[in-house]
Order: sequence, then structure tokens, then C-alpha cells
Amino acid sequence: MKYPIPASEITPEELYLSRRRFIKDALTVSAASLLVSSCKAQASAQLPTASSDLTPPATKDDRDELGNSLTSYDDITGYTNYYEFSSDKSGPTELARNFSTSPWSMHVDGYVNKPQAFDIDQLQTLFDQEERIYRLRCVEAWSMVIPWIGFPLNKLLEIVEPTSDTKYVRFETLLDPQQMPGQKSQMFPWPYTEGLRLDEAMHDLTILATGLYGKFLTPQNGAPIRLVVPWKYGFKSIKSIVRIDLVSEMPTSLWMASGPNEYGFYANVNPNVDHPRWSQATERRIGQNGRIDTLIFNGYEDEVAYLYEGMDLSINF
Amino acid sequence: MKISRGQFIAGVFSFIPLGLVLINYLRNDLTANPIQAATLRTGRTAINLLILSLACTPIRNILGLTSFIKIRKTLGLFAFLYAALHFLIFIGLDFEFNLSWIVDEIRFKPFIQIGLSALVLLIPLVITSFNKMQGIMGKWWKILHRIVYLAAILVIIHYLMATKGDILQPIIYAAITFILLILRIPTLNKMEFQNESGWLKSINNFLLK
Repeated sequence: MKYPIPASEITPEELYLSRRRFIKDALTVSAASLLVSSCKAQASAQLPTASSDLTPPATKDDRDELGNSLTSYDDITGYTNYYEFSSDKSGPTELARNFSTSPWSMHVDGYVNKPQAFDIDQLQTLFDQEERIYRLRCVEAWSMVIPWIGFPLNKLLEIVEPTSDTKYVRFETLLDPQQMPGQKSQMFPWPYTEGLRLDEAMHDLTILATGLYGKFLTPQNGAPIRLVVPWKYGFKSIKSIVRIDLVSEMPTSLWMASGPNEYGFYANVNPNVDHPRWSQATERRIGQNGRIDTLIFNGYEDEVAYLYEGMDLSINF
Repeated sequence: MKISRGQFIAGVFSFIPLGLVLINYLRNDLTANPIQAATLRTGRTAINLLILSLACTPIRNILGLTSFIKIRKTLGLFAFLYAALHFLIFIGLDFEFNLSWIVDEIRFKPFIQIGLSALVLLIPLVITSFNKMQGIMGKWWKILHRIVYLAAILVIIHYLMATKGDILQPIIYAAITFILLILRIPTLNKMEFQNESGWLKSINNFLLK
């Protein structure tokens, strides 16, 4: 246990309001803002134990904009792909239990005017945290609907001021084989790396998430901060980020390096571009019976299709 | 058809993985994606049993345990049972017997074609697995049943191709299969340790009954 807190000091559940409530309060009652930040710090310190004990609070909606109901909190936190811990879907839940997410700093560097290291608490106070209900489509042909809490990546990028040399954004997960036993495997070129084109990174749908279902992210879901790009396969949404670099060359992601003919840089959800292993035409929504059709760009076509105009998506897969 | 003790034990053990899948399913803890879990687990059990059945002949040769020839048949039949279940879960539970989906899956996924070929290759072996057939077919029975070597190789390739990223486990399976096939090279096949130890004999007699 990283944070041995005596039972007497743990905030009672009724006092532990969801962060979203805090944010709402902060917006309406300005006088409360001091209280908010002090409580938040406390909540964040006990994250590893407290977050898993609380029942998920109701979110503002129980459906996404297409009418899909939310995946249960238990399924979202119990069925994850996180190879840094285990290649088994239920493995990370147990193996990541004591993963230390505080202190945590995320360096933003590269072709920027103002390179900076952000502390995780700072990231949670600098930006308005908002709820985004997104579909998540795994390349393995299963999907979920997740109420994320986070902020648009473009808000962060605006602060560091990318220079005109920036064409791509490269993300990196923590490298710590002591805490992440999966990183001892020689099968992958650790650390996990992902990338986006600058315009994809600046798109309003692209967020950095710090929570879901009104609670802090669990370690297996990518605590303390992860990327969420809802129109791309799940593996693009890199977890537990320690570094963001603005670069001029297209970054090579971990999956591109380990399976170049299977995983491309773009990895846009596309039912018309098949994968040698999984059907991309249909998917299985976790918690529901039966297969459903996979939507192009995961149903976000209207918002993002313009980014790829004139591109052959079967070549740029 | 008399079932030996060895076959009975092998049969009981072969049912355990299926029982565990069913128990997990009924208790609702077959992961959040139960169909995928059932597909993977029946597939892995099929490979395990096929490899175990391939180990029987070397065990007989090296340790002189003749009882393992009958066990070999039981394990082979259960390997087929799990492979058939694996396939049925794929077409029935996963792809809902939707013919156009299934045809597309098979047409565009070489790893499924390879796995399916292995399953089809096992069918004539199952049909001719009865003792009576062995008598009727004579030396052709042995020749026909060598198909299992090809099926095993195809199954390992299928497993390798179906694995995402971390291929350590299928590589271990490949190595074991390779060793078991090497042991069938005629000169090695004749390798035999004169085994006079009493306890091995009594195990053999126990399993034969």
C-alpha cells in the first residue's frame, strides 16, 4: 500500500462528493473554490484505496448521443488491455492495484515555445474538467461506452505554444518495470508510445482523461492521466502518460513497431479496412448480447472525416 | 468396447476445463467478454490435449508404458471435441450462425483457414478411431493417422497467428510440438530404455486394467 491511511482519517463516503460535483460547485459558488482545491488534494492522495471502494455516482446522462447505454463501471474497470501489467484482460485490475500515481509529472516538450512539466494536481486544476461520453472501440472487435472526465488536449497544447515545426504529437507511457511487470517482457519495445497528427491532437474530441464515472481513473484504466481519441481504435488512447513531445516526424507507435502490417499510424475505426485477426465490420458491445455493426470513425464521421479528405484509408490504416 | 483405467482418468481430466468454463459462465465470471473467453479457453484446451496425445507414443517407447496407447486415443478424441466446440462457439455464439459474416471471416482470415483445416483433418481420424477400424485398415490405419502430425503443425501456426503481440506462449507450444515430432523420426522412435523398475510396471498394469 503506497498510502497507508488510518481508517479514522479516511473521508466518509457521504463527504466524498464526486469531483464533478466539486466542479459544478466551483462554477456556481466561487467562494467554495478554496475548499474545493483542498478537498481535491486530499481525495487525490487516497486515490489508490478510496476510488475502488466508492459506488459510481450517476452521470449526467446514461446514454451517448446515439442512444447507446453506458457500459457498467465494473466492466470498464475489470476488463482492460494494459500490457504493461498483463496481457490478460482481468490481470491489470489486480496487478495495478498498488500502482503509484502521486507524485506524477507529465513533461510537455519538443517544438514548443514554453516546454513545461505539469504536476497531476496542477493538470486537474488548470483546466475545467468536463464529462465526455464516448464509445471506445478496441481493435479486438469489442467496445464500450464510457463517461470520461477530462479536458481537451488542445487546451494543454495552447499553453506550451507549438512552433510551426510541429507536425505530430508523440506520447509516452511511464517506463517502470518494477511497478509494471509486463514491461519485463522482451516482446515489446517499451515504453508504450503513441502519436497523433497535430490537427488530430488539436481536435476538440481529443481529450486527456483523468477520471471516469465521476471518479479518478483506476490504474488499470490509465491513471492518473491518459489520452482518449474516440474515433480511433482503443490502443491509440495511450495510458499513464509521462511525456508529450511535439515533433516534426511521424512517430512510430509501439504497435506499429511490433506489427507493422497489422497496426498503422492512423488506426481510425473503419469497418471497411479489415484486420488479419479480428473482424472490423462488426463488434461486440461489452455487457450486451449479439454483434453490432461497426461505424466508420466509430460514429464520429461528421466531426472528423474532414481530417482525412483525399486520403486512401486502406493504405493509411 | 472396454475402457481402461488410464482412459477413464484421462477422460475425467479432459472434462475439467469444460466444467470450469461452464461454472465460470454460470457464476457470471467468465470475464466481461464471455464468448471470447470461451473461444480462447476451448481452443487452448484443444491444443493442450492434442499435444498430450502426441506425447503418448514417446512415453510408451521410452518408459515402456503400453497403457498410454489407449490413453492416446482418449486424449485425441477429446482434443477433437474441444476443437469442434471452439469452432461451434465461433460460428454459433460469436457470429450467430450468420452465414455472410462467417464466410467473410473465413475468407479474409488466413489464421481461421489454417485452424479450420486442422479441424477438418482430424475428422477422418475420429471416424477411424474405433478398434475395429484399426483391424480392418491394417497398416493403412497407421499411415492415415500420421495426418495428426500435420494437424498439430497447423494448430500451432493457427495459435501463433491468433496471438496478439506476446507470442511467448505459442512459441513454447511450438517447441514442445517440435520435440514430440522429432521423437518420431524412425531411429529415435526405436529408442527404448530397458525398464525393469517394478513401480513403472505396476503403474502400467494399473492403467491397463
